[in-house]
Amino acid sequence: MRLRLINVKKLGFLFCMLILSSSCVVVKEYEKVYVNDTEMQLSAKGEERFETNFQIYREAASGANGGRSGGGCGCN
Amino acid sequence: MKKTTFLFIVLIGFWGFAQEKDTSSYKKRVLESSEVDLLFSYYGQEGDHAAVSGGEGTERLTDAASSIVVRLPLNPNDVLTVDVGISAYTSASSSNVNPLDGDQTQDVSPFSASSGASRSDQLIHFNPSFEHSSPDRNKIWNANAYIASEYDYFSLGVGGGYTYAFNEKNTELSLSGKLYFDKWNPQYPIELRAGFFDNRISGSGNYMPSFTTFDKENRNSYSLSLAISQILSAKLQGSIFMDVVLQNGLLSTPFQRVYFSDMDDFFIDDFQLADDVERLPDSRFKIPVGARLNYYLNDVVVLRSYYRFYTDDWGVSAYTASLEVPVKLGDSFTFYPAYRFYGQTKADYFYGKEEALSTHDFYSSDYDLSKYTAHQYGVGVQYKDIFTKTRLFMFGLKALQLRLSKYDRSDGLGAFIMTLGTTFVAD
Repeated sequence: MRLRLINVKKLGFLFCMLILSSSCVVVKEYEKVYVNDTEMQLSAKGEERFETNFQIYREAASGANGGRSGGGCGCN
Repeated sequence: MKKTTFLFIVLIGFWGFAQEKDTSSYKKRVLESSEVDLLFSYYGQEGDHAAVSGGEGTERLTDAASSIVVRLPLNPNDVLTVDVGISAYTSASSSNVNPLDGDQTQDVSPFSASSGASRSDQLIHFNPSFEHSSPDRNKIWNANAYIASEYDYFSLGVGGGYTYAFNEKNTELSLSGKLYFDKWNPQYPIELRAGFFDNRISGSGNYMPSFTTFDKENRNSYSLSLAISQILSAKLQGSIFMDVVLQNGLLSTPFQRVYFSDMDDFFIDDFQLADDVERLPDSRFKIPVGARLNYYLNDVVVLRSYYRFYTDDWGVSAYTASLEVPVKLGDSFTFYPAYRFYGQTKADYFYGKEEALSTHDFYSSDYDLSKYTAHQYGVGVQYKDIFTKTRLFMFGLKALQLRLSKYDRSDGLGAFIMTLGTTFVAD
């Protein structure tokens, strides 16, 4: 459990670093042609929902991927 | 001449005023026109560790699901989305909740499906959501609901979230929460139900399991999600997100059998009768933390990566890593090879068949809670038509996607999923 908590702390640290780094980088609107490409979207794609559903049912881990993190039994 | 000059100046003035007014009143809509997604999937799996028969038995399952998602722009700032779907499954595993209701001439076995009523069911869901964006598009509020129903389970959920973009829209912070209030209609293995009798039972002594039904039939889930996304350069952007999830209530599945090593075994043909059903704690606390990093390599290739670490207080730790590489083949087609790795440790309460003791407080033989690794290989293709030339009634086809994935788990479970998606836009 201690090891797991350390991993969470590391990810928390990365999270804070990302927030702090936000003030360092400013990409102007006219430079966003690449990051605005549909393939660059950071959320899960709509057509991935069924794959995410079966992964939620078949795996003990869930969440942090845009899928449901509760609700439903997933018992078959 | 003076009159002409005066009229010219007045007209120019009106024209300028009209232009200014037009500019100020024009606002780009969050969603330009209504969109409809039609989604269909077919899922099939095979395995030999069915939880319904205590970790040994067929896990064969097929599921055909379809959904319609309609996105309606209510005004320049608001979008209403309605997602309705149905999923019809046939499960050899759940058919063995009652393995005795099939063909009476066949031997009863955990490795064959009963043809009785419990072998198939439908899951129906309804998921409306509403999203409001501020005029400068830097703030977004959303609210959503979720209703799902199947024969032995009902789920009701509500949620809401807030997103704030700043740093010239280079940084986005999101906070959201969801509440689910679920209700079981518990289905217990047939041999554990009151009044069960069958003269084919074989074993030493009398079959008298010490079984009690569950007191609680509700399951509640509360989740809080925090996410930050950041543009890191003109071609690189990433996000980190974290959920905190608490579940309580009936977290066991009432029809999943458990066989104890310290109790006698009883059978009907080859089917072993349950000593009990799985018993799991009535609360679970989960923390998944994930990250995405996307890189626009060039005009042909994009790299989409994802990593997640997960831990919970049932002793499960899990790692997920995936990479998808969209390859653009001209203006209309994109090819998607993808790979995903998943690994987890076993839950503290997992025992294989005949490993748990009747004196334990908690036990399960559901291999979804066992230690394993899984590899998923996928390919996909998308056709996109920006001019929406293909018509269906008042809608034009915007995109068509086909995805195929194969999933192999180290405990022997194998699955296959095919997804077909289409997006139409209204005129």
